[in-house]
Amino acid sequence: MNMTALIHVVDDDDSLRNALLRLLAAAGFEARGYASAGDFLLQPRPDRPGCLLLDIRLPGPSGLELQAALQEQGVALPVIFLTGYADVSSSVRAMKAGAVDFLAKPVARDTLFDALRRALAVDALQRAARDEARQLRAGFASLTPREREVFDRIVAGRLNKQIAYELAISERTVKAERAQCMAKLQVNSAAELGRLAERLQQLSGDQAEG
Amino acid sequence: MRTALPTTPLRLVCPWVVAVILAFAGLGAARAAEIRNVLVLYANSRLLPANVQYDQGLLETIRTSADRPVALFDEFLDVARFGGQAYTDTVVSYLRTKYASRPPALIVVANEEALSFLVSNRAALFPQAPVVHMSVGRSFLRMNPALSADIVGVPIEYEFSGTIEQALRWHPQARHLVIVTGASVRDRGWEARLRSEVPRFMERASAEFLAGLPTAAVLKRLGELGNDSVVFTTGYFTDGDDRSFTPRESVEAMARAATAPVYGPFNTFIGTGIVGGRMPNYAAMGRQAGEIVNALLDGAAPDSLRLPEIMPTTLNVDWRQVRRWGIDETSIPGDAIVHFREPGLWEEHHKDLIAGAIVFLLQAALIAWLLFERRHRRLAEQANQKQRFELAHASRLAVVGELTGSIAHEINQPLGAILSNADAAELMLESAADRRGELREILADIRRDDLRASEVIHRLRLLLIRQEVERQAFDLNEVVSEMASLLRSEVQRRGFSLDIQTAPTSATLVGDRIQIQQVLINLVLNALDAVADLPEARRTILVSVAVRAGAIAIAVSDRGHGIAPANLPQIFDSFFTTKPQGMGLGLSIARTIVEAHGGRLRAENRPGGGAVFRVEWPVADAKAKPAVEVA
Repeated sequence: MNMTALIHVVDDDDSLRNALLRLLAAAGFEARGYASAGDFLLQPRPDRPGCLLLDIRLPGPSGLELQAALQEQGVALPVIFLTGYADVSSSVRAMKAGAVDFLAKPVARDTLFDALRRALAVDALQRAARDEARQLRAGFASLTPREREVFDRIVAGRLNKQIAYELAISERTVKAERAQCMAKLQVNSAAELGRLAERLQQLSGDQAEG
Repeated sequence: MRTALPTTPLRLVCPWVVAVILAFAGLGAARAAEIRNVLVLYANSRLLPANVQYDQGLLETIRTSADRPVALFDEFLDVARFGGQAYTDTVVSYLRTKYASRPPALIVVANEEALSFLVSNRAALFPQAPVVHMSVGRSFLRMNPALSADIVGVPIEYEFSGTIEQALRWHPQARHLVIVTGASVRDRGWEARLRSEVPRFMERASAEFLAGLPTAAVLKRLGELGNDSVVFTTGYFTDGDDRSFTPRESVEAMARAATAPVYGPFNTFIGTGIVGGRMPNYAAMGRQAGEIVNALLDGAAPDSLRLPEIMPTTLNVDWRQVRRWGIDETSIPGDAIVHFREPGLWEEHHKDLIAGAIVFLLQAALIAWLLFERRHRRLAEQANQKQRFELAHASRLAVVGELTGSIAHEINQPLGAILSNADAAELMLESAADRRGELREILADIRRDDLRASEVIHRLRLLLIRQEVERQAFDLNEVVSEMASLLRSEVQRRGFSLDIQTAPTSATLVGDRIQIQQVLINLVLNALDAVADLPEARRTILVSVAVRAGAIAIAVSDRGHGIAPANLPQIFDSFFTTKPQGMGLGLSIARTIVEAHGGRLRAENRPGGGAVFRVEWPVADAKAKPAVEVA
């Protein structure tokens, strides 16, 4: 899997888009250009680190509308907005919707690169969080139903004896299941197991919200 | 200056009047008072011009009435042509016999010869009658023995020297004085006097006497004179060939022949062609004598009368001669009597002139007033025009304000591209590889984007600057295209599309293209505002230009909800608006501009939904209407 960053540039102005692509290329970024929101949505996107450089004013759906659509689809690319004329209402909307930055054209190189770096850092963080969650879920998913029952009770703070009683199994079996859980989830102690359970709960809560 | 007017009518009428009165007086004499006879003895013939004037003066002055009847009798001794003791005796006897039945109560003598005649023969001729003399020279009286106390009169003195002096003053270039006299006794007397008076002018001029020459010789000599000469003459009764003249006749001939100005001392010469002279007035002499006659008839004693010492002389001058000899008019003294001056326009027609002047002044005043009004109106019109111009400009500013976002976007796009390209180029230069091809591409792009930005600014500037109203022919198709490119970004921002249909042929209009563009921008923005909440499929605005048989029509149509029928009549009124932030001036200014360009702007609803604004120019107006003065 290619892990170098890919920057998506969406601007209907050919000249500006080409100039941006040229600049990014010269600075060593890998970048792709799209003339409209639809163009971008229709293109297959490889799962690579990156960000979106988005003109706020586009023919058809605007930059803000594209941002909203991507969020709906769960595409977590950080967005940097570019605008020819920054009116207050659209900049507020953009930032509220989680844009990394809102840049006015013509944009200075350093400003643009700063914003890109921040966006890529955000992306990296998001990706790391996403990987961790995925790992957690994968580990969690690998538990047998019995292991999960034991896990739930450990996380809830029950003692082995209590768990054995509740599940009507032997205490020894509980211990064996518990060791299995910790091995599958790659933790060393019950406390760690508790934190992991908390994190899982957090992730599933986020998902419910999103 | 007094002007002597011809007195001919008086001269004709007066004797008749007097004759009638005298006749009447004669009839009533028996009953009323005794008629008193006055005998007038003239030295010369009846028609001597001086005699006519004496007569006129006497007749004017001597009063006669039923209570105090006076009869005048004239006798002409004609001593210039007849003389000798026998003649004198005959005349005396004749007069005695003739007036025996009507003895004169008073005798008037005119001229020195008549006075001499009477004094010499007084014993035989009514010695009781007092005598009044006129036209007798003071020097003559001094040279002769004193007259008896009952002979009275005001003497005269002919101003020979005064006249010559005046002549030399009026002709400063004159160095030669020519003096003409005659051969009769009286002529010789004048000659003698002149010979004694002339030497005092010798410092100024040489003198040449033409005395007692034949008339032909005199005239020949006078015809040879240069402009350094002046002529003075007393005229003559007899010339060297013994031919008789009245002095006036002789002077008339001289004046006609002379090539130099002629002057004389007698006012009877006026009108013969002489310039003038200092002259006693014969009619005045007649009047003076008449006054004395009246006093004596009224019973005054002759020696009790207080009489002037001498008859005054006045400068007489013939205006035509003044012009002919180029005499400086301002040197004519104010008390001179000017004869034959053409009455000026003013004297002759002063009433007409005054009336004319009044009419002229009224007319001038009226014209001035009209001009003032016109200027006033033009100023007002200019102010009005200026105001409309300002308003149109303000409205353009407002439009541009509305478009700020789109315009900034349009300018910042190329600027952004330029900056990014420049940055890219810089980075490329830092890298080692040879990327000249790419750099060249970048430079080309920069140039293109720069032009793109400046094009936007140029269009904007045209809208914003306060330039004078233009009057040029332009193609409406171009204006529509320009408008579309100016609004493209704004239309897009609002999620609309602009559909432009230009005419296949040129649609030429004369006027201010910026203003027409303003109208179109207004109409499109208006449409955008009106249809903001439409579904995607209907978010289109159509602008079409059509030329049909010379008539031009532009239509701006939308597919919105149309104009509420209640609003249709007033949408072009100032300050009418349906928009919350609208001023309500856009459409009213648009209509003003269109009408100033000879066109018509109207609005209607389309059958299929939506509104259409039409700007129309009929054939003649589109082509020929040159005058667009309004902003």
